[in-house]
Amino acid sequence: MSWALRRVGVSLALIWIVASIVFLAIRMVPGDPAELLLSQGGAAPDPSTVAALREQLGLDRPVGEQYLDAFRRLLRGDFGNSLQDDSKVSAEIMLRLPRTLELIAAAALIALLAGVPSGLAAGLRPGRAFDRLGSAAAAVVLAVPVFVTGTVMVLVFAQGLHWVSAGGYVALAKDPARHFSLLAMPAIAISAGLSATVFRMTRAAVLDVSGRDYVRTARAKGVRPVRIVLRHVLRNALVPVVTVLALQLGTLLGGTVLVEFVFNYPGLSGLLVSAVNARDYPQVQGVILVISILFVTLNLLVDLLYGFLDPRARRT
Amino acid sequence: MRRSLALPLVAVGGIAALALAVPFLPLASPTAMAVGQRMAGPSAAHWLGQDEFGRDVLSRLLWGARASLAVAGLSAGIACVVGTALGLAGGFLGKLAELLVLRGVDVVLCFPPLLLALLVVTLLGPGAATLVPVLALVFLPGFVRVTYAGVLSVRRNEYVDAMRVLGAGPLRIMLRTILPNIAGPVLVQLSLAAAAAVLLESGLTFLGLGVLPPAPSWGLMIASARSTMVQAPLLLLWPALALSGTVLAMNALCDALRDAADPHRAPVRGLRRLVASLSPAIPPGTGALLDVAGLTVEIDTPQGPIQPVRGVSLTVAAGQSLAIVGESGSGKTLTGLAVMGLLPPAARVVHGAAYLQGRDLLRLSEGDLRRVRGNAVAMVFQDPLSSLNPVHRVGAQIAEAMRAHARPAGRALVAGLLGRVGIPDPARRARSFPHELSGGMRQRAMIAIGIANDPALLIADEPTTALDVTIQAQVLDLLARLRRQNGMGMVLITHSLPVVAEMADSVAIMYAGEVVETGPAAEVLAAPLHPYTQALLRSAPSEDGRLPEAIPGVVPPPHALPQGCLFAPRCALAEAACRGERPLLLDVAPGRASRCLRWQVLEGAA
Repeated sequence: MSWALRRVGVSLALIWIVASIVFLAIRMVPGDPAELLLSQGGAAPDPSTVAALREQLGLDRPVGEQYLDAFRRLLRGDFGNSLQDDSKVSAEIMLRLPRTLELIAAAALIALLAGVPSGLAAGLRPGRAFDRLGSAAAAVVLAVPVFVTGTVMVLVFAQGLHWVSAGGYVALAKDPARHFSLLAMPAIAISAGLSATVFRMTRAAVLDVSGRDYVRTARAKGVRPVRIVLRHVLRNALVPVVTVLALQLGTLLGGTVLVEFVFNYPGLSGLLVSAVNARDYPQVQGVILVISILFVTLNLLVDLLYGFLDPRARRT
Repeated sequence: MRRSLALPLVAVGGIAALALAVPFLPLASPTAMAVGQRMAGPSAAHWLGQDEFGRDVLSRLLWGARASLAVAGLSAGIACVVGTALGLAGGFLGKLAELLVLRGVDVVLCFPPLLLALLVVTLLGPGAATLVPVLALVFLPGFVRVTYAGVLSVRRNEYVDAMRVLGAGPLRIMLRTILPNIAGPVLVQLSLAAAAAVLLESGLTFLGLGVLPPAPSWGLMIASARSTMVQAPLLLLWPALALSGTVLAMNALCDALRDAADPHRAPVRGLRRLVASLSPAIPPGTGALLDVAGLTVEIDTPQGPIQPVRGVSLTVAAGQSLAIVGESGSGKTLTGLAVMGLLPPAARVVHGAAYLQGRDLLRLSEGDLRRVRGNAVAMVFQDPLSSLNPVHRVGAQIAEAMRAHARPAGRALVAGLLGRVGIPDPARRARSFPHELSGGMRQRAMIAIGIANDPALLIADEPTTALDVTIQAQVLDLLARLRRQNGMGMVLITHSLPVVAEMADSVAIMYAGEVVETGPAAEVLAAPLHPYTQALLRSAPSEDGRLPEAIPGVVPPPHALPQGCLFAPRCALAEAACRGERPLLLDVAPGRASRCLRWQVLEGAA
């Protein structure tokens, strides 16, 4: 228990450091953010406008004071207001975060359903036709970038065959069928590479576990082959597979950017890209912070999940 | 299935050479526009056609390769140098450096890679000059971790201590001893980072945050082809193919490098069982519980097939115990596994028969053999920790053995079994995981699995080797007691003669894959009729205070067996005849057999 508490403490400290770095980084860039913002057109900005914006952003106060103030507001869940339309950053994030999480969850589900059974089949009979075919396919899929997969999918299924529309988003409550049809394309695009990773992980883990002494013990007991595969080989092979998949999902938190762009899916990373392009600092700061918190939390959950999957890692 | 390094190396090298040679090739300018020839198809002047501004696609493709590979190579290279240096420093320069490096890496790892890149691009603005440090930062933690792990494993080695004693400073130790040792994993990491950098660079450029137009780049080509892909899908195809092909070649290089750095990963596979080519069945002679006749096991190795077990014949009467004795590599464990049908994939029985209660186990179908295993014949293995499944409770693993043969396996029955093998508080212990038990307890649990279905024969493969000396006697006592109580036959595989004296009715001495002497245990130990048995006896610690004598030389490896008697090169009694024909295992006295030409000399001396 003390181990879990310590782990949570370390995670909180990491989140605090991340928030500080994001805060400081924005203030450390050469040039004044306010000036940078106003000089987008190319012309030199009016000094009084710059001063007004600096005051609005609180940039005229000492950095230490700004820092404490920012943290006080962060603890209340206040991420500040967007520079573009003065809307609350937290409201926009809460609107878009569930969409990205849904996308990631759908992709992970597809990857598990496709990658684990095929990886198991390949790992149990290495070197056979299915293994060779699967391994070659996985290598090719892993080499194609996700934005190429997505673009080709749009070209073929939306513009060529007209099965689906090229992209967009509809709320579940509004039109469930359309919601899922619009979710399917980006989810499949993401899951392609993810499935290949899960396939390779599963295959390697199954190969490794199949040679372990305890699998020989199970055979020595006269256990049926199906039961050996499920209860001894797959159960142990899933420990590394699930752990790696969970960590991959963490990188996807920022990695849906490309797919959201290709499919015009209004998720969290899309918000980040538009905020980057508009130099909307509070929004960039808020999105990065939320994603990092989720990422750190996910890593914490992976550790706990690992303990659940492998009793040897449980600390009491 | 070993991957060859040559093909991916040639592919990656070819792509890199092409990218380097681009300025010297007779190519059209990648940025020269010709609006009149927008999206023109392939022509003699423009082999791959022209894009939406009339620019030459082939030229842009090749210049794009240069941009991609330059960014990827540079960032991966910087990450490699800086990361390796940081990892070395963290692993070698004391606690503070270690803390700073590892925690620093943790902070970088708090950002998903693409997000980190986006944050930096926000702050510094897009462009190739930003891209390189961003990507280097993203890949830095990988190198730090690989290097740090390498240093940790190397720095405990004795030669590092030796250098320190010799007065070498930390820098010199790092460069001279550690760097060459971690070169393999770092190289693998470098190729991984380079491949990932190509992907990330093209992704960021695709979003408009990387290489800026009008510079040619694959990411930009794909982005601009998107708007015209219905009219000109080929404009999308070429850069997509170039990008994917490059990453494919680089990934293949990674895999091949990883295989080369870690040869254990490439598995050797063979046929699992080979029933058809077995020699005709040898009829059961004695009606004994177990009757092994002429058992020969073959293993495929990279140097060709070897036969680590040759012509082994053994007999165990019901309720009796047989000890198989020999040094490591004598084939005793393979013999046990062959009887159970549990040989590793590369090994197979090529000759012989193994009758259990009149049925030849070697010729049973896998399904029939499964019904025999764990039922009429069971096996206890050497290392109980690796032989028990770490993720299931001990009780469940015992119950599984009973359920596999359609027997009831209630909690009370499992606890009863654990009680029988001497585990205190069995009901609670049944709910423990293997790692929560001591070594002795674990082996008792393994034995409980073995006797779960009251087998007629229990094969125990060095059941005490992995245990403390004080526990060994307890486990042997347990086995002896169970055998008496259940009237169970037992094959005890061991290298310890004192154990034989205590446990076995009869004994078979194995040497280099062959049985060299058999007979009643008491007689063989008192008056050995093979010089190897005699040497084994002398090498064991004895009670009369005589010092143990080592056997000179080593067991000959199975692919380089000597002519004639296999023991002759290590034998004090060997004479010219011993190096001629290989001696046969012959009956030399009632119930006793020896494979020595000069057994009479030993008999006379006794």
